[in-house]
Amino acid sequence: MIRTSVVTRAVLVFAVGAVASSDGATPPDPTAAERGRRVFNRYCISCHGVDGDGRGPTADWIDPRPRILTSGTFKFRSTPSGALPTDADLYRTITNGLHHTFMPRWAPTTEMERRDVIQFVKTLSPRFKEDPQLEPIAIPPPPPFTPELVQKGQGVWKRLQCAACHGDTGKGDGPSAPTLRDDWGFPITPRDFTRGPLKVGDTPEDLFRTFLTGLNGSPMPSYADTVSNDDAWALVSYVRSLRKE
Amino acid sequence: MKRPLQAVIALLVIVAASRAEAFPAFARKYGMSCSACHVGWPVFNQQGQNFRDNGYQFGLSKDDPVALSQDYLPVSLRTTVFYQFTRMTNQPSDQGPIVTQVGGVPLPPGVDVLTGGVLAKDVSFLLVLTGFGPDGTSVVESAWARLDNLGGTGWLNVKVGKFELDLPASAHRNVTFTTGYAVYGAHPEGSVVAFDMGENQVGVEIDGHSARSTTRYALAITSANGGEGLSKGGWSTPMLYGHVEHVIEIPSRVLPWVQLGAFGGVGWWPTSFNTITPAGGTPTNIAGTGTNLKAFYRAGPQLNFMLGYPATPLLIRAAYVHGWEDAGLASGTDATGFDLSTASNSFDGGFGELDWIPFSESSYNATPWMFFGRYDVVRFKHGAGDVDGGTIGVRRYLAIGPRASAAIHVEGHIDRTKGVGAAGPDGVPLVVQAQSVLAGFDLDF
Repeated sequence: MIRTSVVTRAVLVFAVGAVASSDGATPPDPTAAERGRRVFNRYCISCHGVDGDGRGPTADWIDPRPRILTSGTFKFRSTPSGALPTDADLYRTITNGLHHTFMPRWAPTTEMERRDVIQFVKTLSPRFKEDPQLEPIAIPPPPPFTPELVQKGQGVWKRLQCAACHGDTGKGDGPSAPTLRDDWGFPITPRDFTRGPLKVGDTPEDLFRTFLTGLNGSPMPSYADTVSNDDAWALVSYVRSLRKE
Repeated sequence: MKRPLQAVIALLVIVAASRAEAFPAFARKYGMSCSACHVGWPVFNQQGQNFRDNGYQFGLSKDDPVALSQDYLPVSLRTTVFYQFTRMTNQPSDQGPIVTQVGGVPLPPGVDVLTGGVLAKDVSFLLVLTGFGPDGTSVVESAWARLDNLGGTGWLNVKVGKFELDLPASAHRNVTFTTGYAVYGAHPEGSVVAFDMGENQVGVEIDGHSARSTTRYALAITSANGGEGLSKGGWSTPMLYGHVEHVIEIPSRVLPWVQLGAFGGVGWWPTSFNTITPAGGTPTNIAGTGTNLKAFYRAGPQLNFMLGYPATPLLIRAAYVHGWEDAGLASGTDATGFDLSTASNSFDGGFGELDWIPFSESSYNATPWMFFGRYDVVRFKHGAGDVDGGTIGVRRYLAIGPRASAAIHVEGHIDRTKGVGAAGPDGVPLVVQAQSVLAGFDLDF
């Protein structure tokens, strides 16, 4: 089941069209994509599959499963919920890897390879030719993290019912946790905020961005329309206070 | 003690030696293809180098064995089943200089057993047993533990045990089977020094690297191999070795990657011993009594670079080595009657190697071909042993995926070594030409 349906996308495109880049879509550069195919073959297909369908030979035994690149659905973005990632988003994921997953950091490969494989990845989904490229959300400077801000964030946590999935203590053991599935029907585990960094990074900005963009393809929604920037920073502050190790 | 001249040949014509340390267990652990970390198995690319430099860690919470399924075993096995034919000219015999020709399939083939990885965060290890060949013996090729990222930085790591020196081109991830890098094991004629840069050494290494391993260094203090326990004192046959290298990346599809480096080691070898003479026998040196240490060194620059696109590159590696050994470290006379013990001796040598991965395929065997070639050269100031050798070959990977690796390997080698053969009509040792052809399967699980 693909939750981000065509209808949803159409609504989204209409709704956020006003903030779309004036350049519109950023389709893949075919020359770079052809080079990037060689990079993808060498480094990526064992998990993501020869066609980017997420069905590489190791896909069945790694958790979480590799991204299905043909769907054009990407969790880690700076763009609004449902939108495509920017090249910079893909670059960040490829370069830094994703914590708690089998996606390693590919920073040791050359810059040219990483930029070229981004173009190839964009050929795997028609969305990169069809959908507009939206601008990244704005991330204001973080306020000083104070006990008062943490307390305020706890209120936001309760109001947004984060504990339903992430649990009262943030361990990812909320009552809904066992029932969660991603868009492809695979079980998915809420983040345990008491241990280690987020998959995408460990900075306050990474948390802020995730709250406001959501994680496409997963049950984690965007709260862009629900919380103010101040409340989002307060929530960031509270979530970071949950860290035990 | 004069080393048999044929020993120099043995440095060159070896079979499947120093071929361990390709580790599919890591591919199984992380679900990644061998091609992710190897330009062409077993030669590292920068991703593989960085993984090794980080203590076999990616640092994304999937390294710690506690987090792994108990089904995972960090053990790999490698063997090479092959046919080899070797022809050597000017071998001594009662009938004068002769040609020997030997061919066959050694059974059982030798096996490398490897285990390694992470014991805990920032504590890594490697244990390699190799051998188990026709003679049934095995040796501990590598056995080390390493404290990684001391002080939270990749610039400080400490390794203790038996390990490979940080070389310009690893002798243990060498793609050729018929020969190793000739210059690593080069010694002047008559030398008592057994040190071989390509052999693993016992000692301590401090090393470090930048985040992407584009800049690396290693400093080691070891007992030069072959001399462990020989000399009297707190550290037998001491050796200091260092290596530094730096990568320059260029946004070019012609010359995208250039690595410059320099390396060098200085060691000391005992020349005077207490002896024991069995009844009717000859005096034998007593280990642990060696004194009157004499110095030797190896040093040189390296230049490695890629031509073409880095995911399907032509990797070119070259190193020059200048070696020097002090007077007194050799004995005997050369073919001209020169007393080799009276003067220091030196050599110059090196290698140039090409490893070419012509293309990649959209399959789980993504980089199916590797073509390789290498030229080795060594020139001595005094005495015999000058070497010119060439090796070419091809590997057709049958599997280079996330579980195991297998390759059909075909290789040809020819070398000429001056002054180490049977005596000619004028009494001067002749040039030995060795030719070898090898074809077989390289299997790694």
